[in-house]
Amino acid sequence: MGTTVSAVRTSNKRGAFNRFAREYMIVLITIGVFISATIACTIKFGDPSTFLNMQNMVNILRASSVMGIIALGMAFVIISGNIDLSVGAQMVFVGIASFNVINGLEPHIGPYGAIVVGIIAAMAMSVALSMMCGFIVTKGVVPSFIITLGLSYIYRSLSIFVLQSGGINISTKVFQNISNTNLGIVPMPVVYFFIVFAVYLYISRYTVMGRRIFAVGSNSQATRLSGINTDWIKIQAFALLGLTVAIAAIVEGSRMNSMNSSSSGLGYDLNTIAMAVVGGIAMEGGKGNFVNVLFGIIILGMINNVLTIMGMDVYLVNAVKGGIIIAAVLLLRSRGKLN
Amino acid sequence: MEHALVMRNITKTFGGVPVLIDVDFTVGKGEIHALIGENGAGKSTLMNILGGVIPKDKGDIELFGEIEEFHTPAEALAKGIAFVHQELNVVNDLTVYENLFLGHEIRGRFGKLNKAEMIRKTEEVFGRIDVKIDPTAVVRDLQATYKQIIEIAKSVLFNAKLIIMDEPTTSLTQHEVENVFRVMKNLTEQESATIIFISHKLKEVVEFCDTFTVLRNGEVIGTQTTRGEGGDVVDQADIARMMVGRDVINVEVYKERNEGDVLLSVKDIRVDGHVNGISFDLHRGEILGITGLLGDGKEELARTIFGDIRRSAGTMELGGKPIDPRQPAAARGLGIGMLPSNRKENAIIKDLTVAGNMTIVTLPDYRRGFTLVKSREYDAAERYKERLNIKVQDLHHLIGSLSGGNQQKVVLAKWLIAKPDVMLLCNPTQGVDVGAKNEIYNIIMELAELGMGIIVTTGEAAEAARICDRLLVMYHGDLQGELNRQDFSEESIMILSTGGHLH
Repeated sequence: MGTTVSAVRTSNKRGAFNRFAREYMIVLITIGVFISATIACTIKFGDPSTFLNMQNMVNILRASSVMGIIALGMAFVIISGNIDLSVGAQMVFVGIASFNVINGLEPHIGPYGAIVVGIIAAMAMSVALSMMCGFIVTKGVVPSFIITLGLSYIYRSLSIFVLQSGGINISTKVFQNISNTNLGIVPMPVVYFFIVFAVYLYISRYTVMGRRIFAVGSNSQATRLSGINTDWIKIQAFALLGLTVAIAAIVEGSRMNSMNSSSSGLGYDLNTIAMAVVGGIAMEGGKGNFVNVLFGIIILGMINNVLTIMGMDVYLVNAVKGGIIIAAVLLLRSRGKLN
Repeated sequence: MEHALVMRNITKTFGGVPVLIDVDFTVGKGEIHALIGENGAGKSTLMNILGGVIPKDKGDIELFGEIEEFHTPAEALAKGIAFVHQELNVVNDLTVYENLFLGHEIRGRFGKLNKAEMIRKTEEVFGRIDVKIDPTAVVRDLQATYKQIIEIAKSVLFNAKLIIMDEPTTSLTQHEVENVFRVMKNLTEQESATIIFISHKLKEVVEFCDTFTVLRNGEVIGTQTTRGEGGDVVDQADIARMMVGRDVINVEVYKERNEGDVLLSVKDIRVDGHVNGISFDLHRGEILGITGLLGDGKEELARTIFGDIRRSAGTMELGGKPIDPRQPAAARGLGIGMLPSNRKENAIIKDLTVAGNMTIVTLPDYRRGFTLVKSREYDAAERYKERLNIKVQDLHHLIGSLSGGNQQKVVLAKWLIAKPDVMLLCNPTQGVDVGAKNEIYNIIMELAELGMGIIVTTGEAAEAARICDRLLVMYHGDLQGELNRQDFSEESIMILSTGGHLH
């Protein structure tokens, strides 16, 4: 067994280093971005605490929480071998529908009942829409890229049409408490984010559904021939994303106390994809680790935060952000290639 | 005799483990030289060194009398070394002729592609190897076996002086193999090319090759001609013994069994363009072989039973009840399992571990509530690792780290854990070395003894003869004949599979 054994052994030795690099590169990048941000602020303001203070760390997490929640769902869809470009528009569409439900029911059943019904309606509607999307993609055997792009236009256009490009406010003040309260010093959106994170991490590692989503993304044909309904697995991945979109709609709507048909959710699609990919989710599917996605979300959050603190020209922010995203992904890839 | 290639004292270690130890390998000009050995014996490493894919630690390479050193495959190619890989390196979305000329397109004025000339040359090459493929067909629409032929046609097209073929016939059936070898003979005799042929099929080695070299554990065990002084052919069993270090081929794997009731009954199954009305019964504890040439429809027949492709007519009964699986998941629910051919594309989930691949079919069984209990999963994998003698250091390694034979056992294991009543095995020993082949045959025997109904589709008559109770021979989608075990002979199988009749 000459070569096989030796190949295994070498890959063990080098593989151990590779595994370490692959698993922890993202941590190193996070630390790198963190230190760079601290140094940049120190140079500019002569005081590291402009970036490095507890309140700012909490701010980073809070600002990342809504998109972070969606990024967790997006990770499953990308692992399953698909992509979803409609999450921003879907969030607005679902949000508007749900807030209408809450506003309509509140005079009849009171704020608490209305909110509960509204949240359930948002989740049911969003999961149903995402499953419909998954159904079209799998049964039509069409690329999810183009289907979700089309759906994104539909959701956004319908939202704008219904509200005549305006926004919707929520009449009950109670609704604002969902996102604008704290648990200790931790804002509630961050708490929701970590709850979703814990649940999705669990699904990815300890459930049949999670394992099969990885299998489908890795080799759909082999998974199908293992007697598994691969279309259903892909639809389930979309459902997991739909759920996060509904949660994001509630958290975002509560924080802003409104949802605007033309300006809410803009750029959420590509930002959440970037979070997942910087977090090591491979675009070709089948590979990824949810702990790393957490770091991907934090990295993008820190970049946004420090560029704002530094007072960078808003027109330039995205150029810098784009450059950092590309650099981070290249670094992750170069470690993977050593294998 | 002039030497085309002399490799001297080639030594290679990977991470301190020797893979090749002072290997001397000499190939005469114009010969077809088989390089054989079990998976992991060092064949691929030696050829990768020759082809400039990996560097050697020590030793010399002399090619046509000149000492050469190749650092990249391109350098080796420039010196006339063509490498036909086992993997299919074809572009699915291009046509056959576009694949053949990829990177070497014939251009006219202003860089315009000269399609007519490329198509004409493609037809000429196919004419030389006597295969009928439309040069303008899109490769995606072809069967995997034709894709392999395109790979071989490439090196024919470019008239390489030394052609290395790494198991080029793995997915081909007897008739195509003979075609390929006839072409190889032509190349060596008329165009003075030299061929190094890596294979697991000893029959091909003794029938078509001039010389063979056996590698075992990184050392050369010996180099011999396939024909002795008097022209008598070397015994395949002797070669196998050189390869493995013990007797394997003459080992009887077939065991008498009692067959039970009819388990699966297939009536007048049709698949448009592939299967024209096939009927048969499969009994409990029976091993039923289905064989034939490329394009005979045996593969489509198996996939239809598994619900992977839709039949256009016909009925199926399992245990007396009509069944109609519309997809593999439904067939699995009915107790039908399938080991597909072309492992890499159809069976291996490369991002999962060995254990993950073994438990993918039965995953819901390891749950407690919603939670997948890893220890239960691992226990099942461990049990079947022991039972099938799968050589793996750690079940948590990725599946890709295993040899072909062990990967195949993993694929088999994932279905055995599910305990299906009917198991369809398509080319079960494809890309598996001689030692592991016998192990797989033994497993098949054991399963039949336990009462499973087994259908084996295979292109190798010898394989069918070693393990099957009964054999259906197909020809262009029709059932050409049925043979019982006592009537098996390679001759009668060949007559039927080429469209002939017995008596």
